[in-house]
Amino acid sequence: MIGQLQYETTPKYSFPRSLKDAGISKRIVELSLNSMRTASGRIFDVNDEELASFFTERVDDKYQLSIKDGSFPASIVPLRAIHDETPIIGIDVSSIKIGVTDAGAIYAVRGAVVTKINNCYRYVRFGPLPFHITKENIHEVFSELSRDLSVRFHLPSYIDSQIYLCNIIEKRLRAYVSRLVRRSIILWDGSLTAGMQRNLINDLSKMLRTARENSNIVMGISKDTSLKFIGWRITDLLNGYKPPCLFEIRSPSLSHAGSLRVLGRIYVARLAKGGCAFRLDIDKAIPREESIVAVEKLIGNEMLYQGYPETLRLAHIYSTFTASDVIGIQRLLIRKYGLKLVAHNNMHRTLFGPYGTRLGD
Amino acid sequence: MRLFKKTGNTMHILCFPDEEVEKGEYLLIEDEKAHKSMIVQVIDIEFANVPGVMEEMLRSSSIEEFVEGEDDDPLDIMSHILYIQDARLLICKVHGTIVNGKLTSESSWLPSRTHSIIHKIPTESLVKLANIEGSLPIMIGETQDSFPLAIDAHQLDGRLSIVTGKKGTGKSHLSKILALGLADYGAIVVILDLNGEYTSLGYNQDGSKNRYYDKIKVLSPGKTFKVTLYQTNLYVIMRTLVYALGLPGTSAREFRHIWKFLEKTGRLTLHDLGEAIQNWKCNQHVKDALYSRYSALVNSGFFTDNMAEAISFEKMLRKTERNGGGIIIIDLSDTSPSDRQMVVEYALAKLQEALSQWKIRAVFLFAEEAHLYLKETYWDDIVTRMRHFGLFTTFITNQPNTIHENIYRQADNVFLLNFVNEHDLQIISRAARADAETITSIVRDLPSHHCLLLGKVVKDFPIIVKIRSLNVKTMGQTRFFFAEKREI
Repeated sequence: MIGQLQYETTPKYSFPRSLKDAGISKRIVELSLNSMRTASGRIFDVNDEELASFFTERVDDKYQLSIKDGSFPASIVPLRAIHDETPIIGIDVSSIKIGVTDAGAIYAVRGAVVTKINNCYRYVRFGPLPFHITKENIHEVFSELSRDLSVRFHLPSYIDSQIYLCNIIEKRLRAYVSRLVRRSIILWDGSLTAGMQRNLINDLSKMLRTARENSNIVMGISKDTSLKFIGWRITDLLNGYKPPCLFEIRSPSLSHAGSLRVLGRIYVARLAKGGCAFRLDIDKAIPREESIVAVEKLIGNEMLYQGYPETLRLAHIYSTFTASDVIGIQRLLIRKYGLKLVAHNNMHRTLFGPYGTRLGD
Repeated sequence: MRLFKKTGNTMHILCFPDEEVEKGEYLLIEDEKAHKSMIVQVIDIEFANVPGVMEEMLRSSSIEEFVEGEDDDPLDIMSHILYIQDARLLICKVHGTIVNGKLTSESSWLPSRTHSIIHKIPTESLVKLANIEGSLPIMIGETQDSFPLAIDAHQLDGRLSIVTGKKGTGKSHLSKILALGLADYGAIVVILDLNGEYTSLGYNQDGSKNRYYDKIKVLSPGKTFKVTLYQTNLYVIMRTLVYALGLPGTSAREFRHIWKFLEKTGRLTLHDLGEAIQNWKCNQHVKDALYSRYSALVNSGFFTDNMAEAISFEKMLRKTERNGGGIIIIDLSDTSPSDRQMVVEYALAKLQEALSQWKIRAVFLFAEEAHLYLKETYWDDIVTRMRHFGLFTTFITNQPNTIHENIYRQADNVFLLNFVNEHDLQIISRAARADAETITSIVRDLPSHHCLLLGKVVKDFPIIVKIRSLNVKTMGQTRFFFAEKREI
């Protein structure tokens, strides 16, 4: 027998393949297929106006936080880039409403994980996956999707389905990445906050803990923040300071801000000269000094476009849907599931003809 | 394929990547409920305006270069997205309607968008429907769907035709096919051969004689084509002097007197004509003008007093007709520009004379680069007046601007080879037999030796043909300095 040398690759360097091989998609795909079977042969209404509204960007830290005046001790931390080839991982997930059936709505979700390892960018894109969400299957779909996350989702309202779907898939992706990679900086799109429900906090805490156990540091970057201080957006507070620098917001009121639980240390960061300032959340369980070093490693090992990490930017680009994506998905649904496409019934036009339409109708 | 929209006589049809359609092909839009089918021709192919494509391309082009990766796309949706992005829009022109299996020119109806079925119509079916081949077929070549297309010689009879295309695209080759095809059916063809390209029509490529050998006569002015003044009547010589040699009106009047005097005295020779001009009592300027034209006639070598070396062009035409048709090639390649005009004027005048006196039935005239030997004002005369006598002209040129706009408008058939120059395309698009859009869009992309046939020969269904090869010895090729190296 001819012996063959077996080379074992370092787990972190074979990460993208591991993600695919780990079968992250298996259950989600099954759920997608099962849900889509319920759409088979149904009437399918594609409303372009509605679709257009779903292309709009979400606000990254959707939970409203407020910083009380006077309780705002803050310090500026100048940063120095550390070049040590720490892997950088960016995760983003997008969703879109594809159309409406007579029983519910069809959404599509796509996730992207982009890595920068050994100065090379690689991506793994997951999806798009369509889901037919109806009153009948909504509970089953969401509880199945959230099962691995040890989180019991309360039944979301029909209108929130798209956001829930996107969040669950994103959480699953984040959880998998936290488990799979080691000694890396993991970038999430958004903040490290959770609602006050115990299960949501547990879910986020568990993901952060898993990441820590694998020597990873999770950072949440919000492109658009609603956090304000004396009427100023916190991202404006760094104006006049020489980048790269961090501005830590140490407000005791932030730990339990209303209905939110903040699990990260909140910073305002301007990471590159000429770049924008972003809200940066770093896992609170990581010591402060270590957090700052992690940001310095991010600066040293990542390409920053307008001060924004390239891995996260690419993850966003790879996951976002374009209009042609939507048409392609609609085509698949019609061909594969025999959906019957109908023209959108515009009530204004039906009732009033050309006189009842608004500008642009 | 799906019908998208109709504007005027232009149809827009959505076509998907797995449906192969080329510019110039015909489509049938079948509306079973209306019991009608519309025939349209694809004149242009564009990308369908799929929303988001620009965004998709911009973002992928900016990152593809330095990012590798893979898609975990379990439902293979990406293939559908790419399929949509590659969708094309066929710009088509309406050419008629089929009702109960019969072709009509009706185009005012609108086929259903939802249940019309669109498919390609083979050229063979189109040819049968429109009865393009007729009873006297001349094989031109193969269409895009490899159908051997023949045109009906009847459609060249009594017609004005134009063969045009940029240099090296095969105009002369196509003209040879047409000329030989006409000769096959007993027609008399006269070719004004500017570059001596047709002189070997009677020989195969290997130099051996072909079946046309006996039907082809090559006339070289000053050598094998000489005439006496006696053969040349006053009408012919006057046209030659006025049109070719620019003799002014007053001088022309005096010349007429001299000619009649010589004719009466039986001394109509070159020698006597010269003497008569010298001795004629008239204004010195007129005398000088007449003598300079006389010198031109003598120096051309085209006129002779030796009856033995002179030929009768008229007799040759009649003989050709008696022998069941043939081709008379007037080789103008070694003739100076002024002599060229003289020879052509003589030939045309003789043709007109013979035709008007019903000595021959009709002549198909092939005129290569006619602007080089005919004045612009004379073309209208050829096109409008002489066609009534039975002179049916085919203009061959690579400079479309040298043909008068009137001629384009009156052309019954246009054989278009490739042009890319916008100015040329604009001029050609004046041809009344097809719309400007069809011409400019299709001709621009025609490969070499492909021709767009327009007009009566294709019953107004523009068809692209790859011109067939011809086993004829090639002449008139460009001479190359580096010929030996090319052969190596």
